[in-house]
Amino acid sequence: MKKGGNISVKNLTIKYGDKVAINDVSIELIEGKVTAFIGPSGCGKSTFLRAFNRMNDEIIGASMEGDISWMGKQILSDEIDPVLLRRAVSMVFQKPNVFPISIYENVAFGLRIQGENEPSNLDAAVKQSLVDAALWDEVKDRLYDDAYSLSGGQQQRLCIARALAIGPSVLLMDEPTSALDPIATAKIEELISTLKSKLTIVIVTHSMSQASRISDHTAFLYLGDLIEFGETKQIFEDPKQELTGQYISGRFG
Amino acid sequence: MTEANPLEGDSPKHKFVLGSLFASASLSVVASALIIYTLAEGTIEFFLAEEATFLGFIGGGEWVPNGRNPRFGIWPLLSGTFLIAGGALLIAVPLGVSAALYLSEFASNRSRKILKPAVEILSGIPSVVHGFFALLVISPFIRTYFDASYFNAASAIIVVAAMILPIIVSISDDAIRAIPREMREASLALGATRWETASRVVLPAARSGIVASVLLALARAVGETMAVTLAAGSVASLHLDPLREVQTLTAYIAQVATGDIPPGTATDAGFAVGATLFILTYTANTLAIGATKKRLGRKPGKLSKSLGNLSRKARSAISSFSNGDIPGRAPVDPLSPNSTDLKRRKSEVIWRRLIGSSLLLGMGFLTILLHSVIKAGAPGIDLAFLTDYPSSRAHLAGIGPVILGSIWLIALTMIFALPAGVGAAVYLTEMSRPSPINLFLRRTIQNLAAVPSIIFGLVGLYVFSRMLGFGLSLLTGSLTLAMMVLPMIVVTSEEALLAVPKGFREGALAVGATRWQAVRYHVLPNAVPGIATGAILSVARALGETAPILFVASIFSKTAPTGVLDGFMAMPIQIFFWTRHPSQSFQDLAASTILVLLMLLLILNAMALFVRNRAEARRSW
Ligand SMILES: Nc1ncnc2c1ncn2[C@@H]1O[C@H](COP(=O)(O)OP(=O)(O)O)[C@@H](O)[C@H]1O
Ligand SMILES: [Mg+2]
Repeated sequence: MKKGGNISVKNLTIKYGDKVAINDVSIELIEGKVTAFIGPSGCGKSTFLRAFNRMNDEIIGASMEGDISWMGKQILSDEIDPVLLRRAVSMVFQKPNVFPISIYENVAFGLRIQGENEPSNLDAAVKQSLVDAALWDEVKDRLYDDAYSLSGGQQQRLCIARALAIGPSVLLMDEPTSALDPIATAKIEELISTLKSKLTIVIVTHSMSQASRISDHTAFLYLGDLIEFGETKQIFEDPKQELTGQYISGRFG
Repeated sequence: MTEANPLEGDSPKHKFVLGSLFASASLSVVASALIIYTLAEGTIEFFLAEEATFLGFIGGGEWVPNGRNPRFGIWPLLSGTFLIAGGALLIAVPLGVSAALYLSEFASNRSRKILKPAVEILSGIPSVVHGFFALLVISPFIRTYFDASYFNAASAIIVVAAMILPIIVSISDDAIRAIPREMREASLALGATRWETASRVVLPAARSGIVASVLLALARAVGETMAVTLAAGSVASLHLDPLREVQTLTAYIAQVATGDIPPGTATDAGFAVGATLFILTYTANTLAIGATKKRLGRKPGKLSKSLGNLSRKARSAISSFSNGDIPGRAPVDPLSPNSTDLKRRKSEVIWRRLIGSSLLLGMGFLTILLHSVIKAGAPGIDLAFLTDYPSSRAHLAGIGPVILGSIWLIALTMIFALPAGVGAAVYLTEMSRPSPINLFLRRTIQNLAAVPSIIFGLVGLYVFSRMLGFGLSLLTGSLTLAMMVLPMIVVTSEEALLAVPKGFREGALAVGATRWQAVRYHVLPNAVPGIATGAILSVARALGETAPILFVASIFSKTAPTGVLDGFMAMPIQIFFWTRHPSQSFQDLAASTILVLLMLLLILNAMALFVRNRAEARRSW
């Protein structure tokens, strides 16, 4: 598969105006694995995640320094068009943000804007993405219903299908289950474990149990600093840093 | 404060205050009742005449009010109205929606802060000024390129488009900005460009607000009187040729108002036309309110369905859904642009420029308008012009009594409207709870605000002038204008009251103040700057308003009024008559008068801005 290799971050600093949100972070994300970002709210997890598809470019006042290299390119450099980057590095957000159009068109959107209008291609891609997002069976008879008619958990899986339809190599997920009930959460976690055979996944979560269940590697961030990064098993069972241990055992945050 | 024992319940004073406030709030109901009564009575009188039949009115294709064999078929007036309103929408909707989209999605905060008020100036320019521009600048321009008549629909269409543009821009902009950020992020994260996000996600999501803006603009265009009367002419004929003369519903009423129509059935017909106009604008306004209420994403909207339909073509193919992989379309190197991507980049640039240029077009219109008025009017302004009496000899004419007439008129208008408007606002926001009555009062005010201004003129003529016997006087004129600005004062005062923190009321109530005392001593004083700002803007609106007092003001009053029952002349009316004058020297006088009027409006707006800014700077909360 076209997973695109490891993503290597060197000395990344992200600021909002003068305020440092991510402070000199270096890390290597492994291809085909699930990496979790954990840490207390406001520590910079979302900011960090949004560096990988340059969504921080859309925020006035946000600035990034340092390098992220992937597929032999510096993806933060001006030569890289974020529009192109984002179809290789797709994203799912905290709150399901479906478009107020039909289920079918939500999934087809990313392809249509790339100029794909051939019905048979779209149909195939829409179906495959919905199957991959474990939503096909629930919606196959109502593809032309408004996406808002779905439940919250279904909407979030629709967002995943939508993100998969453009054929990305990396999937970024920012607390994708925090707005969902436990059953919907379980479905999405299951989905993540099947998807990782096809993609590199980076997931932000503030549920430590979720991180330990679904991720291969875990990065612990605190006040913009990367405190510790390693295999999830090691981070949870044998943290090297005292702060990590305190956070995981729930003594703060 | 010698209130009676509070445990005894409402004191007589408190009851009196509450009663007066309720009465103020009810005035808009009275005004609405007067409108309906006037239109109904006048229309009945019209149909009682033997020349007029109901069927002939609603089915007839000829409108010949004068002569030996008059015919009253409404269709020529309707077609004239729809030609102009439809034409104006055709121009203003694409421009307005583009401008709103540009302002909210692409403009930097700084340029937005300059551009949006600049667009709004277009609606602050009195409609008689737009009429001057249409007849004496746009129409000659059109006539040099096309075989158009002196009066033509096209020139009216252009200025009406400019007048409704700000409505579409500001309401669409509100709707677009209400679309949550997350929706845009979703689209961008899927690799859509900013333009693709704006046009394919944001715009469809904001559709109900945009539809509302279009309906409100339609109501305004249908009700527009002065520009249309000046530019489009007064020949009612059934055609849709923009290069020829047409008469609209409003223009016919204006023709009645200026005394160009003989008394009798032809004048009574003005009321039937007014009733038709009222029904049309009321319907558009009600639909607009309905459209705003529809919130995003509840039910699939029309557009969603049509998008669904688009792919429904492919529905037959669905059964043939293969289980195969996503078609081999993944580019070898996703980070390098393919040919489609290059095309997308190009169209992104083109579209951004295109929708941005809609704003330039609006600015260009404004610049040319001001430039032509200054060029024609500035040389004629001197002390003599500002103080002399109007004269039938251009070089002797001045506008001294006209300015005084306007000042008298507006002063009286505010004496009537300000206490009533503030009282109504206090009653609605402070002294009453949400109830069917409260809701009814609000609806009434909302509807009153949407009544075309010329209809107030009919009420003034019928009720104040004829029934109450005030004649063609200042009193009639100011009562008429007061009805028209009342809703504006209520709405701005309500906003000012609501901006006062809740804690002020609760603090006062907690130490045993009555509701009225809390309002009187703690809320109202803090709302004064906001109320004053609204009042000044209402003065500006009334000062430029022509249509409602067209019936009342008289070209024969050469001197300033000395009492409320005197006749009077006002600046916008003087502009109207001088613009219509066939001789250029008088048209230049109109331009000079326009300059004086615009200066006054500028001063009023600056005052409003000053009051607001000073209050904000001084505010401790
Ligand atoms: N758009 C923004 N403008 C300014 N500051 C921001 C913005 N977004 C986030 N921040 C700040 O950056 C820090 C990190 O935020 P975020 O990345 O959202 O944290 P997390 O996802 O871990 O909760 C916080 O202090 C937050 O207040
Ligand atoms: Mg976050």
